[in-house]
Amino acid sequence: MRNPTILASGVLSASGAALKRVYFEGGAGAVVTKSLSVEAREGHKNPTVIEIEEGLLNAVGLANPGYKNFIKELKYLKESGVVVVASVFGKSISEYVEVACGVAKYADAVELNLSCPNVEGKLFAQSENLSYEAVRAVKSKLKIPVFAKLTPNVTDIVSVAKACEEAKVDALVVTNTVKAMKIDIYAKKPVLANKTGGLSGRCLKPIAVRCVYEIAKEVDIDIIGCGGVFTGEDAVEYFLAGAKAVQIGTAVLYRGIDVFKKVCSEIEDYLRKEGFESIEEIIGLAI
Amino acid sequence: MIAKLHVTKIREIIKETRRIKTFILDMKIKAQPGQFAMVWLPDVDEKPMALSYIDGYAGITVLKLGDFTKKLHEAKVGDIVGIRAPLGRGFKLRDEDKKILIVGGGIGVAPLAPLAEKAVEEGKEVTAIIGAVTKSELLFVNRFEKVGAKVYITTDDGTAGIKGFTTDAMRMLLEKETFDACYICGPEIMMVKALELARAKKIPSQVSLHRYFKCGIGICGACVLDGCGYRVCKEGPTFWDFEIEKCSEFGSYWRNAAGVKVYFKKK
Repeated sequence: MRNPTILASGVLSASGAALKRVYFEGGAGAVVTKSLSVEAREGHKNPTVIEIEEGLLNAVGLANPGYKNFIKELKYLKESGVVVVASVFGKSISEYVEVACGVAKYADAVELNLSCPNVEGKLFAQSENLSYEAVRAVKSKLKIPVFAKLTPNVTDIVSVAKACEEAKVDALVVTNTVKAMKIDIYAKKPVLANKTGGLSGRCLKPIAVRCVYEIAKEVDIDIIGCGGVFTGEDAVEYFLAGAKAVQIGTAVLYRGIDVFKKVCSEIEDYLRKEGFESIEEIIGLAI
Repeated sequence: MIAKLHVTKIREIIKETRRIKTFILDMKIKAQPGQFAMVWLPDVDEKPMALSYIDGYAGITVLKLGDFTKKLHEAKVGDIVGIRAPLGRGFKLRDEDKKILIVGGGIGVAPLAPLAEKAVEEGKEVTAIIGAVTKSELLFVNRFEKVGAKVYITTDDGTAGIKGFTTDAMRMLLEKETFDACYICGPEIMMVKALELARAKKIPSQVSLHRYFKCGIGICGACVLDGCGYRVCKEGPTFWDFEIEKCSEFGSYWRNAAGVKVYFKKK
């Protein structure tokens, strides 16, 4: 990776053309695809994404064309020289394995989305056992790095992180969105068609930083911070809490596609001002 | 915030044709012609709609086509809708252009009527070609005529004006006249042909695209065009000819809610 900023899954990630633009025009170090499943999914009806005062609320519902349809997009990205992480979603362990194996040849790493808040039923990342089994099953088949994306919607995120560590995950993405709701008081109804959604943006940062910090204290694998990174200073907070890289999503809306370039240059500014040579020197410094 | 959701009442409903209704909203939106609104019907869906009225109370003009538009057509004055607007990039009227051509097919005329009004207000000479399948489905001819635009009408069945497509009238017109700029909105295959005609005469042109939108604000990526990577909801929905030329999917396919390609039927 040319820099520690990664496009978070679900943002401008529905096609090769979009991801390529974020990589080259935006300056991301890597990009994560929309979560891919076995079959095509239309996701939820609109409204799927709405801005609220506190952040961005979404319930897209894992819409994607199915991993087989997406392989040509991945090939296109490879040919274009884009560093790409394929996000993988399954309703069962075997589905996670099928999709991960199906896309592995065309991706630099796989991110297991164990934590989408917008599908029915319990999330894999809300169970230590399921998280362990999913990671272990995929790890046993793949040579490329496997990331696990965790949810903050748990009482004890450290236990889930430990379970993933035990299953030999290569990195943890901390975290997915917080489950939330917006009701319009004049329509007198929840705005999202799915009623609830995942809340992202600045409001997520203190929650995710806390999660990174707690995990970094207990777990000895790489962490990618995710949630409300808008500026280099936000990224630095994650580094200090123990993350080695950050993912950026919602900030694309407010700072533009080139938010990655902006964040990188702001990280450099911080390091220079504080007298550090590299990001490595500040990782986990606050612990 | 980019565009806060406003829940507002429907102020007035105008039956334009058998299948087209205009909904005047109880809110004013400072917008450019060609910009759009995400229109939410609680418990139904939320869809992008071109703003067809931007002076005074804002309005949208809707063709009854699918489930959403059918439900919207059932709405009464006083019913509520959620609006996020104005979104996207509107048409660009350039100072140096004195004489413009507007080409609209079917419901594609909706964002072009406020464009014609604004162009005339800016002192431009406006010629419009308005097409529909049949006479009773022609939209906004009166609005173009009212501001003094020179109007040519086409219908597929010949019940009014020239029998044929807007592009047939455009071909004939461009043989005897030229324009400084051309603005096109209608079925995508029509826009492809109209762009070709304008390009052959070296007339700078803008088209307005329709794609499946989710967020409407440029974050989700559902409407990103292949080839160029433009977001239709953000960099568009209007594009210049030199921009759309880079979009390999233009005139070929669009992506549905799942992101699966759906190919256009060629006429």
